[in-house]
Amino acid sequence: MLQRCISAEWLKLRHSHIWIILMVLPVFSILIGGANYCFNQSVLTNGWYSLWTQVSLFYGEFFLPVLIAICCAYVCRLEHMNKNWNALMTAPISPWCVFLSKLFIVGVLILTVQIFFLTLYLCAGRLVGLPQQFPAETFGWIFRGWVASVTVSAVQLGLSIRIRSFAVPIGISICAVFIGLGMYVAKVGMLFPYSLLTIGMGVLSQESLTSIEKTLFYMMNIIFIVLVCVISIRHLKKADVIA
Amino acid sequence: MHRIVSTHSLSKRYGNVYAVNEVNLTVYEGDVYGFLGPNGAGKSTTLKMLLGLVQPTGGKAIILGKEFYKNRRVILGQTGALIESPSYYGHLTGIENMRVMQRLRNVADKNIGEALKIVRLEDQKDKKVAQYSLGMKQRLGIAMALLAFPKLLILDEPTNGLDPSGIGEIRELIKALPHKYGITVLLSSHLLSEIEQIATSVGIINDGKLLFQGSMEQLQSKSQPHIFIKTQDNKVAERLLIGRGFSPVINGKYLTFQGLQDVEVAQTNRMLVNAGIDVIRLEKRKKNLESIFLELTGRERSLS
Repeated sequence: MLQRCISAEWLKLRHSHIWIILMVLPVFSILIGGANYCFNQSVLTNGWYSLWTQVSLFYGEFFLPVLIAICCAYVCRLEHMNKNWNALMTAPISPWCVFLSKLFIVGVLILTVQIFFLTLYLCAGRLVGLPQQFPAETFGWIFRGWVASVTVSAVQLGLSIRIRSFAVPIGISICAVFIGLGMYVAKVGMLFPYSLLTIGMGVLSQESLTSIEKTLFYMMNIIFIVLVCVISIRHLKKADVIA
Repeated sequence: MHRIVSTHSLSKRYGNVYAVNEVNLTVYEGDVYGFLGPNGAGKSTTLKMLLGLVQPTGGKAIILGKEFYKNRRVILGQTGALIESPSYYGHLTGIENMRVMQRLRNVADKNIGEALKIVRLEDQKDKKVAQYSLGMKQRLGIAMALLAFPKLLILDEPTNGLDPSGIGEIRELIKALPHKYGITVLLSSHLLSEIEQIATSVGIINDGKLLFQGSMEQLQSKSQPHIFIKTQDNKVAERLLIGRGFSPVINGKYLTFQGLQDVEVAQTNRMLVNAGIDVIRLEKRKKNLESIFLELTGRERSLS
């Protein structure tokens, strides 16, 4: 059943222009971050790591959360428009399939974006003259960034399902990122989904996470995802459908 | 006859206001059930409760022999619906919209072509739905509802926004569904004339209460002609006629009789005259469905 729902979700993305945003925002992050790196090479002396601090700051702390919020708002907007909730919720599928199929689609989109961002980062590094050998941690940052992205996606999906407006959940995500930064600085970042993104992507600290930290990181992500899914699916089950 | 839908005291309360109040709906297999009522009477809310889109605050719904909330998926799998205005993804073509629905409902590919053929949209299937006219969107909505060739089809105001030729077409289509495909239809409308032309059974709802439910013939029998007699002294006339086995009802200045044959009318007249009571007027009045409907739903509200 979930598979059918996912394939239906895929179909809905046809003829959609969301790809443009998915591709443009990472390019922006790299351009701004890369330019920053070039103009401040006197202080940024740590090669690949320094470049990462610059590009990931813009990407992980701004463009990626916005991108996630846009994706979630988009897949929900399809249903909010033209009474599609009526059709979706009278199809013989359970509400958890409705939610998980959307989360899956957003997850795949963000994974593509992460891989695209990685490619851009590597290209940018070569362009600014960094050595061929780049840090192996990069893969970890990209992967953990994606895991935290799925957590944030679940939260954003929950918001976008309830809030009919396209922009409001995106605004909320921007606010949440700032709160997340504050919580990260206050060392309680593990307790907030948006700070998990900062931790996962290695934005502010490129030091490798200890294995305990890693375990905690994954556990917290799983807890948040399960929690948000349960709340959102309950809402889909219990609340009247307003199409 | 087999009951396809039966609700028991189904209610929906918003705050202190009942949108639907203890409605006992019964739809039999093979029916085209017309659910009639003015705007805001509770038609859509009732239909939405039958589909799980709205949670009832009281009562229960038994659909296809099963309690809805315990068997939601099984029932929805055998039910097609078009609620409020049609649902569609405007950026997708007609056929892509059908494919989305096909995947959600897990039905065979050939159903798509068949459903599109029934609503005569095959030629427009590759056009984006955003560019469809309202009538075409409505027909696409019906095609999506028909996709699984369900046992029960629930249509909320299916001819809304269609032009007269479109209305005629959809009407013929709906009428043919029970015998052609074995589909029982439950449709709502605020137009009496519409229900009159399509439905075999009728339910009339107003202010959340079901005021009448029965076959179309039963409703029409309410419009049987009444005989109105005005005499010099209605009281005496009434007593006399009751004594002779008639059952007159005093209605204002008239005595009224239901279902009187011509012979009996002549007989009544003769009796009254022979008893020395002058007959001033003798009229035959037929109530049309419109006035019955207005009587049931209260005159102060308009039909449309």
